[in-house]
Amino acid sequence: MTQEITFWVLAVIAVLGALVAVRRRNLIHGVFALMIFFAALSGLFLLLLAEFIAAVQILVYIGAVGILLLFAIMLTERVTGDDARDITSRGSFWGWAAALAVLVFLLLPAIQSADLAQTTQPHNPSVKALGQQMMDPYVITLEVLALLLTAALIGAVAASQGGEKTKEDIDDA
Amino acid sequence: MTLEHCLILSAVLFCIGLLGAFTRRNAVVVLFSIEIMLNAANLNFIAFWRFSDNPDQLTGPLFTLFTIAVAAAEVAVGLALVIAVYRHFKTVDLEQLDTLKEE
Repeated sequence: MTQEITFWVLAVIAVLGALVAVRRRNLIHGVFALMIFFAALSGLFLLLLAEFIAAVQILVYIGAVGILLLFAIMLTERVTGDDARDITSRGSFWGWAAALAVLVFLLLPAIQSADLAQTTQPHNPSVKALGQQMMDPYVITLEVLALLLTAALIGAVAASQGGEKTKEDIDDA
Repeated sequence: MTLEHCLILSAVLFCIGLLGAFTRRNAVVVLFSIEIMLNAANLNFIAFWRFSDNPDQLTGPLFTLFTIAVAAAEVAVGLALVIAVYRHFKTVDLEQLDTLKEE
């Protein structure tokens, strides 16, 4: 029963957080709503007995991705409050229509028609087992992932350094 | 809390992300809409794993760990690109970034 209530509370927080994050005019508030969404999702992971993933979710998403997004906003827009300009793109009606159509005509019917498992098996969460799995059958994936992260890091530095000068810079000089 | 509830929640979250990516003009908001979609997919992985016959095999958490790492790489490169675009065009408004469009 408590599990049930916790699930619904977290689900409502996650949906509201995500909605505020994508619709809020103030970008900074949007990022904080996004962090609340990440935290609610981490709670859901705990509820589903994936306690290590819940910790990783908080570390990586709230700790790293959230702060990175805040920095990106501070480095680009001058946020002084609500964005007075038009925040929706042209033809946003079709955006709403497409997103709703995907939900109503694609995802929900697929969930309704699927033959889903109803029971859960007992499970003792163990980080040791996770580490052993990662080091034994999934070691190649882990190595590829390390390579990907290194490449992404180098790529991010190279892309944000920006060797090219803009037209204004050349005019100023 | 059944598997169906988890899947419906994840579908709703995915569509909120889709909505953000389709309707907002700020590039950073589009990036974090994509993060919302990736998180919805992670919730699916964990839910299917929890309701599977053999949760001790830990496939769900492992896949989720890998997606989280890929998402972190994606957001780092994405934000670097946003900053590079901002330096060049002095805006992150996606409506104004139409250089490739035929005049």
